[in-house]
Amino acid sequence: MSDYSTKSAVGSHTAQQSKVPSKPFKDERHVNPSPRTMSRPSIGGGSESAVLAPRKGGPPSPRQKKTKASQYDRFIPNRTAMDMASSQFNIARSDAPQPLDGTTIAYQETVANACGVSMNKRILTFKEEAPTSEKDDLRQVYSRPALKATASTSAKRRILNTPERVLDAPGLVDDYYLNLLDWSVGNMLAIGLDQSVYLWDATSGDVNSLCQLEGDAYIASVKWTADGTYLAIGTSEGDVQIWDAETQSKIRTMSGHQARVGVMSWESHTLSSGCRDGSIWNHDVRVANHKTAELVAHGGEVCGLTWRSDGALLASGGNDNVVNIWDARTTVPKFSKTQHTAAVKALAWSPWQLNLLASGGGSYDRHVHFWNTTTTARLNSIDTGSQVTSIQWSNEYRELVTSHGFPYNHLALWSYPSLAKIVDIPAHDTRVLHMAMSPDGQSVATAASDESLKFWRIFEARGKSARSAKADVAGIVSASAGASVGVSGPGGSATASALDISRPSYIR
Amino acid sequence: MSVQTQLTKGKINLKGSARIVTEFFNFGINSILFQRGIYPVEDFEVKKKYGLDIWVSNDISVTQYLKKIMDSVEEWLSLGMINKLVLAVNSRETRETIERWQFDITVTEESKGEEKPQAKSEKALQMEIQAIFRQIAASVSFLPIIDEKCTFNILVYADSDAEVPTTWTDSDPLHVKNAEQVRLRSFSTDAHRVEAMVAYRRDPDLC
Repeated sequence: MSDYSTKSAVGSHTAQQSKVPSKPFKDERHVNPSPRTMSRPSIGGGSESAVLAPRKGGPPSPRQKKTKASQYDRFIPNRTAMDMASSQFNIARSDAPQPLDGTTIAYQETVANACGVSMNKRILTFKEEAPTSEKDDLRQVYSRPALKATASTSAKRRILNTPERVLDAPGLVDDYYLNLLDWSVGNMLAIGLDQSVYLWDATSGDVNSLCQLEGDAYIASVKWTADGTYLAIGTSEGDVQIWDAETQSKIRTMSGHQARVGVMSWESHTLSSGCRDGSIWNHDVRVANHKTAELVAHGGEVCGLTWRSDGALLASGGNDNVVNIWDARTTVPKFSKTQHTAAVKALAWSPWQLNLLASGGGSYDRHVHFWNTTTTARLNSIDTGSQVTSIQWSNEYRELVTSHGFPYNHLALWSYPSLAKIVDIPAHDTRVLHMAMSPDGQSVATAASDESLKFWRIFEARGKSARSAKADVAGIVSASAGASVGVSGPGGSATASALDISRPSYIR
Repeated sequence: MSVQTQLTKGKINLKGSARIVTEFFNFGINSILFQRGIYPVEDFEVKKKYGLDIWVSNDISVTQYLKKIMDSVEEWLSLGMINKLVLAVNSRETRETIERWQFDITVTEESKGEEKPQAKSEKALQMEIQAIFRQIAASVSFLPIIDEKCTFNILVYADSDAEVPTTWTDSDPLHVKNAEQVRLRSFSTDAHRVEAMVAYRRDPDLC
């Protein structure tokens, strides 16, 4: 406030041209300067003294000259002594009074300080910019953020940029909200291609067609049970079918959903199915009256659904940009997170930290957020640069891999918790829609709408576990059922293979 | 040595007062960030302080950023080298300052000879600070609504001989064009006096 009161005082000073050094340049164009101005030392440099040529010991006071009006007075400029550049500038400068903007006020303030008590004040600001908030505006969706520089891969481990294997996946529906790929503990890969489900045996390489839907129905989701014996298939009609993979026969059909079942997750004998109308149903598959619970909290299609490994919490993500965490015993969400600004399809629980959940947002959001589900706090976030379609944590390494769609269609490998990007793998020509992890935890399979299914060996096992890696059925499992974790040790395979659907054993 | 014990001793020295004032700034800035919507509401949590519920950011990046700033500010305060602290709210697109919260700090000098009448009680100090916070919250009623995305800058008016770490640099005062100013309440500890005011853009429609 003191600034303003002093400002007016200074302003008047300027007008009077007193000892306060203000803008002196107005005078130079006057051929007849007042004696007062003449005696003032020239501040503007050469131009003034040049114009006020009479001062240099020339003819007597110009005032005398003016009185003889009839006599012509020729002004002979002394160009060599003139500063053309600065006088040009000053002539061109307008006389309009400056509006009181920030710089003027600052100037006045500085001058005021000079007049006032202390001249020794500095205005300091913190160099670093303030952090920006998460929610970005509409322009984000049209911008193409550059991929961030990647850290070099560790010397020992090779992560190839090329797929280990490529298979054909004709007819894969190009829909972000479906979940058409799953890899079982038994090393069988199930993929839903339009109206049929195909099973690919990773050990032998055989392909079988499991089922074919009638009419206009198409496959919307597939999910293996924890032990890999049964496969749940969600259809666009709202039916959930349970198939026995070994006998290739349908066990039962559970209907009732009003819209397509885009995502499912197993938790021992409970199957949760997420529907397009935003509801999640829990089915007990052993009982005739299968529907045990209905969890309604999403306003949009449920596209992400995954049980925690101990079966206590269920995480769901929807097209309403909300992540809901459900306690297994209730039908009201334990808490909800609205940090994402796009549909949340990618959800993954960390295998080494039980309450750590990673969630990835769609094309408008592109962020991966990490949540502590006990304290409900957001621990970390990554801006990945592209639509996140799936997240898988590695069991062996403290890393996670994210698959992306628009605009770069790549896989990104991140280390946790440093969140440094280890490598970017350009994966497909179109959006990488689905990703599944192999039972041994070393490879991931990705399917995209360019009708290809590619396998990438990104978590190459190191040391001892390598020998038991490939053929061992009871190897490290992460995503095939989402409901259990089986750990293999050198001698542990025998017990771990006796997994049954009621309660798988796990070591933690 | 906690501020409490210092108070009960009867007098707060400059260092303790600096701590109180810095704490006030920290909570004050958080409160302003919440009220003006610089960060989304879900990034804030409630903390009890000064007998009030104050909204404090729980975003790690923001708290760390503010902590760095407050550490420097506290040091300058304890040396008596700072005489203004300004929170300037700038629009992200136009980079113009649309709102400016200014806190003037004066070091109340020891009056020579006479003893200070009575050291300010903790209660009285708390009431004064409470009043400012209530005013900040109430200022929402006359401050213009901020529609655009904003960021903020903290400015410090320091003595030219103050020791400036490399994280700070010189800056313009970031005044608001066509400003309306409103003076808010002040509070004083035994060693410092803090006055607050806010400057905001005059709405051209209103008159």
